[in-house]
Amino acid sequence: MHVDPFGKLQSDPWFLSGLGLALLLGLAVMLGPLAAPYDPHDMSFVPLASPSAAHWLGVNDGGMDIFVELLYGLRNTVAFGMAAGGLALVLAALIGMAAAWYGGWADAVFMRLADVLLAIPAVMILIVAAAFFRPVPLSLALLLALLTWPSTAKGIRAQALVVKNRRHILASRQMGASNARIIIRHLVPELFPFYLIAFAAKARMAMFMEATLAFLGLFDPSRKSLGLMISFALKYYYLDIWWNWLLPPVFVLSLLIMAVTFLAVSLEKRFDPRLQEAL
Amino acid sequence: MDGRNVLSGEWNKRWTGIAVYLLGAAVLIYLSYRLPALLPGDFVTAMFASSHVTLTAEQDAQLRAWYSQRPDFGQYLLGLLRLDWGYSFAFLTPVSRLILEALPWTLLLAGSAHALSMALGFWAGVEAAWRRGGRAEKAAVGLMTVLEGLPEIATGVALLLVFALHAGWFPASGAQTVYARLSLWSWMLDVLHHLALPLATLVLAYLPGNFLLTRASMVMVLGEPFVQTARAKGLPPLRVRYGHAARNALLPMVTRFGLRIAFMVTGALVVETIHSYPGLGTLLFSAIAKRDLPLIQGIVLFSSLMVLAVNVALDRVYGYIDPRVAHAR
Repeated sequence: MHVDPFGKLQSDPWFLSGLGLALLLGLAVMLGPLAAPYDPHDMSFVPLASPSAAHWLGVNDGGMDIFVELLYGLRNTVAFGMAAGGLALVLAALIGMAAAWYGGWADAVFMRLADVLLAIPAVMILIVAAAFFRPVPLSLALLLALLTWPSTAKGIRAQALVVKNRRHILASRQMGASNARIIIRHLVPELFPFYLIAFAAKARMAMFMEATLAFLGLFDPSRKSLGLMISFALKYYYLDIWWNWLLPPVFVLSLLIMAVTFLAVSLEKRFDPRLQEAL
Repeated sequence: MDGRNVLSGEWNKRWTGIAVYLLGAAVLIYLSYRLPALLPGDFVTAMFASSHVTLTAEQDAQLRAWYSQRPDFGQYLLGLLRLDWGYSFAFLTPVSRLILEALPWTLLLAGSAHALSMALGFWAGVEAAWRRGGRAEKAAVGLMTVLEGLPEIATGVALLLVFALHAGWFPASGAQTVYARLSLWSWMLDVLHHLALPLATLVLAYLPGNFLLTRASMVMVLGEPFVQTARAKGLPPLRVRYGHAARNALLPMVTRFGLRIAFMVTGALVVETIHSYPGLGTLLFSAIAKRDLPLIQGIVLFSSLMVLAVNVALDRVYGYIDPRVAHAR
């Protein structure tokens, strides 16, 4: 397992195409503000102007450059996905490992809590929270993480239970290592590939959620977002703007979700022992 | 451990499960009761702030007092049981009626989407696993993985653009032609015509997951010794494939089906909004836009309780599909 874990990945076309797409989009995210020729909130252009050399994708109804909006919208979606995915993963890892390591009542309490959360539709709560409290995106991401850690925590707990009784851990326990030391030095690194899979899955879900909430108009309308662009552009479908205004955010959003999906699928194929022979 | 102990262990487990669902339900009901008091913003502001009607201070205070009446928790619970979920502020109709009017459309849309994508995905997944390594299988897996990467916002918008706005083959909104006075038969055709685009969007969104899941579990089942036995007995391939192997690959699909059915209302939210389909999702969306508290409360509570009910029901279904589960009880 520790011998060249990425070896097989290098020849997996899904992993390579996912990585390629992710790098491309990552570049756009990093360099977006530098490459953007205008301010995203600059409303001084001719509304609904067609694409030209000055405005590659034209101008929207509010007189803002669509290409620049696209760059900033992508950034926001990616940032939200990463934040929510990362927070959910940290929560899930902490809770899953604590439940597996300490067992007993800690295990029982956390897992029953997980069951209750799994039975509550996260989307509903998120929609209500977004609609009424108008939180900043980061707190919404935190809320999403608080609602979606259980599935990953259960996976991590199951894996940690297996690892828990391996001999090197029994050995270090017998040598008097503290709980914290064993968890941090042995348990945490042992489950490494699982984090990647879980993070990719959670980030995908969160990006999807961000686009959905933005599309429904549940975010601050001045915050640039792919979903919001789609919903605005859809209002002007009767004008001939669909190819320069509606299609780009749809396309970029699809590329983004695709990149994460490909990465998640190929990582899962490579590292999930149950799927090892199946795929 | 003797038999009785094992039995009581299982018994305990089952009751813990139901207790968890009940606890979930209690939390949700209490949250929905508390929600209006927790929320900033109010109906009076939302309704009159941007209208041309100017309220005197007295009217304003009266309206605010009227709209902020709250029953206590006991009354609220009784009301829930009697389907008395309050009046919608914006539609001026009972909440239960609005929900029950929208529900059939959501059930029709999401139900048929799930049924179709399950059947298609299961069949294709079983066949793909059976033909593992072949060219058709590789192509199918590739196609489905790409589809899995397409968000339903994207497919919904694309289908709407091409087939409704550009080609004009399908209507762009609604669930039926209004005021059309059609005979039963042509009314059904009309409903199907309106259903086509949102249904296609949802099927495209659900199909890949079902396919990939079935394929993976079927591949694993095919490696089990009992499949080899069935083959060795000389059973016809179709019988081995469906009677023996596929039946065992069905369980993860049922779990998925339950989860998806449970989250039906929210699952169809985006698609209903894109295609302006008059289901619960669209109702919730307009309720949020109008700050129509009782309606939001009603929909959130209704759909959450539906999730819990489906979860409990699902526990039962497992037994029928997998005798091992029934035996374990």
